[in-house]
Amino acid sequence: MPDRYDSVILHLAARALMVPLIVVFGIYVLLHGESSPGGGFQAGAIVAAAFVLARLTLGNRQGGRSVPMWLLTVIACGGLGIYMFGGILPLLLGANFLDYAAIPVEWYNQFAGEPKTSRAAGIFIIEWGVFLGVASVLVILYDHLTDAESDD
Amino acid sequence: MKRVTLIFLAALAALLVWASGDLPDRADPLAPANRHLSPELTELTETDIEIPNVVSAVLADFRGYDTLGETFVIFTAGLAALLVLQRSRRVRDDEEDAGDA
Repeated sequence: MPDRYDSVILHLAARALMVPLIVVFGIYVLLHGESSPGGGFQAGAIVAAAFVLARLTLGNRQGGRSVPMWLLTVIACGGLGIYMFGGILPLLLGANFLDYAAIPVEWYNQFAGEPKTSRAAGIFIIEWGVFLGVASVLVILYDHLTDAESDD
Repeated sequence: MKRVTLIFLAALAALLVWASGDLPDRADPLAPANRHLSPELTELTETDIEIPNVVSAVLADFRGYDTLGETFVIFTAGLAALLVLQRSRRVRDDEEDAGDA
């Protein structure tokens, strides 16, 4: 695998045009998981695709520098942590594990234009956890598989 | 051997196509899969969870434990791949160093 492709057209099309668009679309899919087809798994795969595209055009050494490996691992752990937080928060408030009905949303609804129910808030929290976990694990897998190849 | 495999696969495909004739139609409300739990979950999503997307409600709320497990599976797979690949690279580097010396 060549380390880097030197073509202005390729770099402009991939990095200036497609990567930002894909990331924005991924976030859109994540935030609309409650009201339209979408959710954490899908959004994670889409955003990971944007990162992989950046690595394909820039080469791993340069493209991988945008997000270092240790940070990706921390994000993957953090995603699981957010999911567990969504489960343990109701536990601390006296309800069952992952029982979102106990999540307090009054303080949020004071500021928000659209009020959220507790269960919608819980789903929102764990979708973020799934999103961060899936996206970072996919990028970790890509980085390690291609690195092992280029070492030969 | 190849011919036997082909004949077997063709017979299996024919069997599956023949059996698919007995499947209920798509989106048939009277199909067994749509009669037992689906109406209940659809109604509960509207009254209890109050989000428009039934799929998200089932995935994240009714089956929250399942999705938690799935996330753990993905995380563990990534971690395992990371550890195995890192180790194999280190072993190869050591061998190269030994060869140089």
